[in-house]
Amino acid sequence: MDLEVDENDLKAAGAELFTDGVRRGIRINGWLIESRRHSILNSSTIQEWEQKLDTSHLPEMVFGENTLILKHLTSGTKIHFNAFDALRGWKKEALPPVEVPAAAKWKFRSKPSEQVILDYDYTFTTPYVGSGSVEIDKDLNGGEISKETRDILWEDCKDQIDVIALASKEPILFYDEVVLYEDELADNGVSLLTVKVRVMPSSWFLLLRFWLRVDGVLIRLRETRMHCVFGGSTNPVILRESCWRESTFQALSAKGHPFDSAAYGDPSIISQKLPIIMHTTQKLVISS
Amino acid sequence: MSSDLDRQIEQLKRCEPLKESEVKALCLKAMEILVEESNVQRVDAPVTICGDIHGQFYDMKELFKVGGDCPKTNYLFLGDFVDRGFYSVETFLLLLALKVRYPDRITLIRGNHESRQITQVYGFYDECLRKYGSVNVWRYCTDIFDYLSLSALIENKIFSVHGGLSPAITTLDQIRTIDRKQEVPHDGAMCDLLWSDPEDIVDGWGLSPRGAGYLFGGSVVTSFNHANNIDYICRAHQLVMEGYKWMFNNQIVTVWSAPNYCYRCGNVAAILELDGNLNKQFRVFEAAPQESRGTPAKKPAPDYFL
Repeated sequence: MDLEVDENDLKAAGAELFTDGVRRGIRINGWLIESRRHSILNSSTIQEWEQKLDTSHLPEMVFGENTLILKHLTSGTKIHFNAFDALRGWKKEALPPVEVPAAAKWKFRSKPSEQVILDYDYTFTTPYVGSGSVEIDKDLNGGEISKETRDILWEDCKDQIDVIALASKEPILFYDEVVLYEDELADNGVSLLTVKVRVMPSSWFLLLRFWLRVDGVLIRLRETRMHCVFGGSTNPVILRESCWRESTFQALSAKGHPFDSAAYGDPSIISQKLPIIMHTTQKLVISS
Repeated sequence: MSSDLDRQIEQLKRCEPLKESEVKALCLKAMEILVEESNVQRVDAPVTICGDIHGQFYDMKELFKVGGDCPKTNYLFLGDFVDRGFYSVETFLLLLALKVRYPDRITLIRGNHESRQITQVYGFYDECLRKYGSVNVWRYCTDIFDYLSLSALIENKIFSVHGGLSPAITTLDQIRTIDRKQEVPHDGAMCDLLWSDPEDIVDGWGLSPRGAGYLFGGSVVTSFNHANNIDYICRAHQLVMEGYKWMFNNQIVTVWSAPNYCYRCGNVAAILELDGNLNKQFRVFEAAPQESRGTPAKKPAPDYFL
């Protein structure tokens, strides 16, 4: 997604864009923010992933090498997004399968003599909120550098992402959207995990979205937003809000909303119609 | 008529849709031809087999570049002409016009997307409404879908179908007795032929976790091929990054003909060429380059998402 960016805006923000093959990104205020976009995984890599994740089914389209990385350079703090970690979350949550409307009829079909009923969560619903680590370079004797990695610690908080500030039309210096995985549920709807980011002179903001529509049955939207305001302070703070919404088609139509799937193509538009089932806010204080 | 039709074919090859009245007339002609076809349509070799297209018109033009023009090349398309891509109207009408012009040189069978219900959710309905301002063209086309054959049999040796097998079907004669002139049902043999998938982890039959949709394993394919004296099954319906994929010891092959599916997957596509002796050659091809797509890629406006 190429975007015309005003050179003067970049210069005023002290930012620098870069592209290098599949990598695109921006350096700004001590952050390195980059996205990488590739093809879907090929059959042999899919098999490797199936083994590693101990599953026989993965989404039809796994953009396994796609990623969004946000790295705070002086502290080594790295927030990143990838399909593998998200699918690990799916495997662990292991929700029970959702039956499609036709299933009711199928119960009355004569069964073949040998029939195995598969029972994995074909919706690929994941509780994934992103990955993170802190990488510290340790200077060993002789100038050798070893990387030490530790987890990052998010703490619950009452702060909220400043949507009013985000709604102001500050110039966008860098923007990208990366698909992590997608499945058409064999033409029974859509399951889609994407992350998009925008970087402005005063902050960066991202939205990780899991969007599920099982036609005629269920809509599920799990969103995680992160916002980091650039400031003079050496300890930047990232706010993270996760909001899960979910509704059955039945409940939607009982409230007067349409029942047909064609009305539910764009999650942004229908999000407000879906009741919230979980909401959390956390923050990460980056210490240098 | 044939000169009119030739003009329409040329127009469609430029990705320009026909007038509503022309679509209506074309569909009537097509109906006369398709109604005579068997549920297991006989196809002679040499023939080139193509999988899902999904409205990716400019990529289908790449397919014809690689496979040769119809009628010089004899084609078998395994369904899913419409939905998801930007040009379902032009894609389907071009194939249908070729069918009417050269009925013995192109065979079109039905995919699960050739259905009223599916096209209303996945793009074709909206595209017709957008391009014609009414749903008439969608009606003419979906009425034609009901006439499309369900499968093909090449030289009595290769069985071709969009999805796969059905526990209700053990012989080809059972397919021949289906009354196909209807919307794709939600269950039963006709539904299975258009919807089912081969599956590694079952040997016999598997039921999808959705509670509807059959999966079939290697032993099912072995019995079917043996009972019907066929060499292998050729089907489409599932995206394969490499364009084609053999399963169960070369007893079934999936052919996928939509490169860079949905304009973002980065996959290659394939067609399967069979010569007069049924020797196989897969031809792999990539998506049409951006500059040959007519309209340049639009640069998206900054998205102030919240």
